[in-house]
Amino acid sequence: MMTNTNWGLIGHTWAVNLLRGAMERGELSHAYLFTGPPNVGKRTLALALAQALFCESDAPPCGVCRGCRLVASGNHPDLHCVAPETSSGWLGIDQVRDLGRQVSLTPSLGRYRVAILDDFERATAAAANALLKTLEEPPGYVVLVLLAPDADALLPTIVSRCQVVPFRGLPAAQVEAALVEWWHVEPERAALLARLCGGRLGWAVQAALDPAPLQFRAQQLEELERLLGASLVKRFSAAAEMARTPETVQETLDVWCGWWRDVMIVAGGADIPLNNPDMTERLQWCAQAVGVERAAAVVQAIRDAGEQIRRNVNLRLALEVLVAFDLPRVP
Amino acid sequence: MVQALYRKWRPQTFDEVVGQEHIVRTLRNALTTGRIHHAYLLTGPRGTGKTTSARLLAKAVNCLAEAPEDRPCNVCEICQAVNEGRLMDLIEIDAASNTGVDDVRELRERVGFRPNLARYKVYVIDEVHMLSNAAFNALLKTLEEPPPHAIFVLATTEPQKIPATILSRCQRFDFHRISLDTIVDRLAHIAASEGIPAERDALAVIARQSTGSMRDAESLLDQLAAYNAGGITVEGVRAALGTGADASVFELTDALAGRDVSAGLCVINETIEQGSDPRQFARQVVQHLRLLMLVGLGSEPSLLHVPPAMREAFKAQAARFDPKGLARAVRLFNDAASEGRTAWQPQLPLELALVEATLPDEPQSPPPSSPPPPARPVPAPSPAPTRPRATKPPASPPASPPPSEAAPATALPASDSSVTLERIAGLWSEVLGALHGRNRSLEALLRSGRPVGVEDDVVVVGFEYEFHQGKASEDGNRRLAEEVLSELLAQKVRVRCALVQADAPSPANRAPKSASHAPDELVQAAVNQLGARVRDVE
Repeated sequence: MMTNTNWGLIGHTWAVNLLRGAMERGELSHAYLFTGPPNVGKRTLALALAQALFCESDAPPCGVCRGCRLVASGNHPDLHCVAPETSSGWLGIDQVRDLGRQVSLTPSLGRYRVAILDDFERATAAAANALLKTLEEPPGYVVLVLLAPDADALLPTIVSRCQVVPFRGLPAAQVEAALVEWWHVEPERAALLARLCGGRLGWAVQAALDPAPLQFRAQQLEELERLLGASLVKRFSAAAEMARTPETVQETLDVWCGWWRDVMIVAGGADIPLNNPDMTERLQWCAQAVGVERAAAVVQAIRDAGEQIRRNVNLRLALEVLVAFDLPRVP
Repeated sequence: MVQALYRKWRPQTFDEVVGQEHIVRTLRNALTTGRIHHAYLLTGPRGTGKTTSARLLAKAVNCLAEAPEDRPCNVCEICQAVNEGRLMDLIEIDAASNTGVDDVRELRERVGFRPNLARYKVYVIDEVHMLSNAAFNALLKTLEEPPPHAIFVLATTEPQKIPATILSRCQRFDFHRISLDTIVDRLAHIAASEGIPAERDALAVIARQSTGSMRDAESLLDQLAAYNAGGITVEGVRAALGTGADASVFELTDALAGRDVSAGLCVINETIEQGSDPRQFARQVVQHLRLLMLVGLGSEPSLLHVPPAMREAFKAQAARFDPKGLARAVRLFNDAASEGRTAWQPQLPLELALVEATLPDEPQSPPPSSPPPPARPVPAPSPAPTRPRATKPPASPPASPPPSEAAPATALPASDSSVTLERIAGLWSEVLGALHGRNRSLEALLRSGRPVGVEDDVVVVGFEYEFHQGKASEDGNRRLAEEVLSELLAQKVRVRCALVQADAPSPANRAPKSASHAPDELVQAAVNQLGARVRDVE
């Protein structure tokens, strides 16, 4: 799958061109910030950049030389990947200090040291501040790549020291074509996945290889429909049931949110692509029953509930308010 | 790898520092007159010149040039050593990484040694707001009376985190955001020197995006130069920043003015598909709406930055909005632009803002930006009253005259048109207030009573307990109450204290025993919604 034309990436051509152009002219910046939704390709490009920098062939990245292979296997001594610790969920100051020490050493194999800081929005304030000086004026052989969903989630002092490369979702057609061509997904399924993934190729590929996400979605939408006609008692018990599996709640809310957004779009009468193109009939029916204003209120309510849960409110209480009172009753 | 523009073009003389004239002048005067303070605090937003000025100061105080006005000369040994980052006597400390008290203690131990080469040892403590409390306190003594050869320069973006004891020991300089024109001029200068062809309008877009931070602007210029080898154009900048075309913004606001949800949603979709960043687009819409709002309020000068060709279109559009709806739209889109959470559907906040902004204004609708109350209104379409109410709405206590069972003859309509029970009940809190200053114990007494009736010019005050009634009836108390009431009513009245039965309706704390056999709303809701069954009626 490694092709040299676009550093082995699908889409994001302009970002690849930006980096390649800078490399060829010797104008690579010392700090990049890749922003974009999860699974859109930030990490893939960061690794490709590392390969390109470490590659020993004439046409980097070749994917076969020692440097490229070491990066692919995650063993390159000059590549430092830092991610939030799994135990705490945060990227701490000690990790940043370690990184600062490591990158101050001259490279052991090639001419560069590359540091990739994954999910940097989850760096603690102390850690982010501790990176500032390294980020502004690292040794000449260092390239730092920060990954985050959104520049606004980081300290402005961090952002202003980096070249920001915003990743945008791929057009659905491109995802569809890539799924068919590279992952041999049957066209019908590829079309649906391309629509569902919201431009995140990584998600689409995962869903193509593993049926679980699609099944999950179907299940959650079924549940949503059942709840719309259910009595208050049933709704309360459904909320209690949902609260028993906290790890899937956010995903469920995402699916619901996507569905209600479609209801809003249909009710508003706009002819634009939907998240759930396979369910137009149900959407129509729901849109007619609730109207655009109510649909918008439900979307807002679902997002609010998600946000409250992220802030650690009582899970069951938040779900009860949402499910019992905010979801309209559609007989 | 070349140095980033913002490092390469870090000002090396005071003349090159732009937009901070007030600071440059003060520092220069201090240098020429030799009145150099031993501790400076430089604060201000990112990318406005704090670290730069700190290094310039370090160079200038140590420069070997003869005339003080020439310093820093950038020629002498010292200046060159600073420029190359190898002067031993310029000690730059990253306070964000060395936050602890031990780091400061180490600094204290070394500050006593004479400088190596230069006149002064300059300690630049960057990001100083990250020092721990203990570290700040350990620094206090040194900062107040350092050895004569030491100068401290503290730099931070967050002065509010610096303890007052540190602030009072430093000369503080506040760096300002740099104005748009200044940034554009500087960018044009850099671009020309670097041989990057750049349109001035494109530089203006960059400058606007960087909101007064020179480093942001230079970073962007760097990036755009790397991407657009042919030169920097407005379109190129737009594409890189993800700003939508002005035409799309116009179309969206048109849809808003016409309250056309479907057209508005289509515009959003189209703009995002073309590669615009939703947040950027939301910001643009806010800017546009804000201009419309200003124009609608008759502020012509606000159109100065708008190309003359567009001004008429602006005015026409502004006329289609009412100011209230416009303000609401600004607020909604502003919320969408500043929304912290990033859903996997980046355009959703925009779409929501649009739908909400096109809804008809409701007179009593709360501001949409306010956080949702814990309990929301009941879903509209359900036919039965779904919301069980805990209590009946309490009748406002003083206004409704209680039934006549307790106080005799209360039901009489007031003979004098001006003295009615309603009027006195309305005045009751004022009566208590007036008594507050004159006789607290009487006030307290009257608080346990309430006016229950009016007989000619006699106001009847009812009490539940004999003790209260007796106390209030005492001559002194009664007369004072009469006096106050007469003053407030502007009419002579008398007061009689009566005893009312304890179980007389006291509306606030006794739920009325309604005819409970009638299918009560609460019971109904419990049956309908919660699956309850009526087992017994008492």
